[in-house]
Amino acid sequence: MTALIRRLGRMGCDLTEGLGQATLLLVQSAVGVPSAEGIRLWLRQMYFVGVLSLAIVLVSGLFIGMVLGLQGYTILVDFGAEDALGQMVALSLLRELAPVVAALLFAGRAGSALTAEIGLMKATEQLTSMEMIGVDPLRRVVAPRLWAGFVALPLLTIGFGVIGVWGGELVGVKWLGVFEGSYWGNMQASVEFVDDVLNGLIKSLVFALVVTWIAVYQGYALVPTSEGIARATTRTVVYASLAVLGLDFVLTALMFGGLA
Amino acid sequence: MTDSPLIEVEGLRFSRGETEIFRGLDMVVPRGKITAIMGPSGTGKTTLLKLIGGQLVPDAGRVRIAGEDVHGLSRKALFRLRRRMGMLFQSGALFSDLDVFENVAFPLRVHTDLPESMVRDLVLMKLQAVGLRGARGLMPSELSGGMARRVALARAIALDPDLILYDEPFVGQDPISMGVLVQLIRRLNDALGLTAVVVSHDIKETLSIADYVYVIADGRVMAQGTPQSLDVDRDPRVSQFIHGEPDGPVPFHYPAMDFHDDLLGTGGPR
Repeated sequence: MTALIRRLGRMGCDLTEGLGQATLLLVQSAVGVPSAEGIRLWLRQMYFVGVLSLAIVLVSGLFIGMVLGLQGYTILVDFGAEDALGQMVALSLLRELAPVVAALLFAGRAGSALTAEIGLMKATEQLTSMEMIGVDPLRRVVAPRLWAGFVALPLLTIGFGVIGVWGGELVGVKWLGVFEGSYWGNMQASVEFVDDVLNGLIKSLVFALVVTWIAVYQGYALVPTSEGIARATTRTVVYASLAVLGLDFVLTALMFGGLA
Repeated sequence: MTDSPLIEVEGLRFSRGETEIFRGLDMVVPRGKITAIMGPSGTGKTTLLKLIGGQLVPDAGRVRIAGEDVHGLSRKALFRLRRRMGMLFQSGALFSDLDVFENVAFPLRVHTDLPESMVRDLVLMKLQAVGLRGARGLMPSELSGGMARRVALARAIALDPDLILYDEPFVGQDPISMGVLVQLIRRLNDALGLTAVVVSHDIKETLSIADYVYVIADGRVMAQGTPQSLDVDRDPRVSQFIHGEPDGPVPFHYPAMDFHDDLLGTGGPR
């Protein structure tokens, strides 16, 4: 019994300590005036984190849009409401699917890579040697990656949404024969910029921060062995995915649940 | 000023979790000399270097470098102090996304505003000193272990430090690159007049270049002296370590029950 209580206490302490360290990491790395070198490093990370995730995000976006078109049509056509397909596809993508699915894919593709890369730099003492040279690895290694993730995911989300809407049109209009004018017209009439587009982007910004933060922290704080890297990479994907889905519910409740 | 020691370690205590690694360690590193810190694996030699470099904070005691208390410094002052130190890591710790040239140029680029032509000259001079000027375009993944360590050495001396810390420089090297490294460390010291701390358990190589040796065990300095004096030291623990005898005060056997009882199975289930 005492052992159980002790273990609970230990877990509580570890959790609090981890949260504190993660917050310190975020503040120490992300806050500050960027130098020219910092911007160069950030651009480089934008390529690794953003451009290299483009393919998987766009292909997934296309398929999700196509599935939405197909599923939406088969349901709506029973009610003779297939004209509303455009609005259904666009709203599901903008409000939910684009931010959430893009964030999940991003966690799998870029988040795990960030953790593994930073972890490997730690395990091979590159971070320590940077410190000994007198360069702060938080500013040099963590900050560009954090900012790159924060900027890249919302952009990827926009790409996901755009190509998804096009995928819905491809199936709904080109294949199943929904009238093109009503697909686009209904979409235009029902999608609100602030309610739908902006809220989706806000979600995406929150997810971007959380996923990238989890990824760089897991990399920075891991046990510097091969086993430690493997564990941390898995943890990044699990924690980031859970955080995205959990936060999505909270944000949806605030934005669309009439709570605010 | 030249007579005062560069590093003074006083009453250093440090523990990791429940394990006490240092219990009141005292040590002095004189300027311009090669001081070796030796001891069996797991005695915290690398930890000691990290304490000297200010990466770890001791539980008690002080480390002073050139009179400055390393652990009393602000983060900024600590980073300024580290510019005067070079450290050679066990793995080399080269930045894997930069080639050899850029690795050596890294400290120059971040700490100086030198024009590109001068950076180039300095990098080539450092690479020439370690014999790898021709390898400037290679990536770290294309280097052998010995070459990586030499590049790391060139990087460590890029800013002409006063002090250089070597963490197990000879581990896992073939005899040729071992010889090269031994020579390089001695030559760099004589030519540049820098102070060196070598942490190692490669006895022969280390004793051949060290001016003064500390042997640490059980969290304290077990013996100290010149290589010659340690070689004839009669303390059985020192002698076992220096002469590499498999059994002695440090037992060959992990603590276990009596072998005879164990074989007869009278002691327990396994």
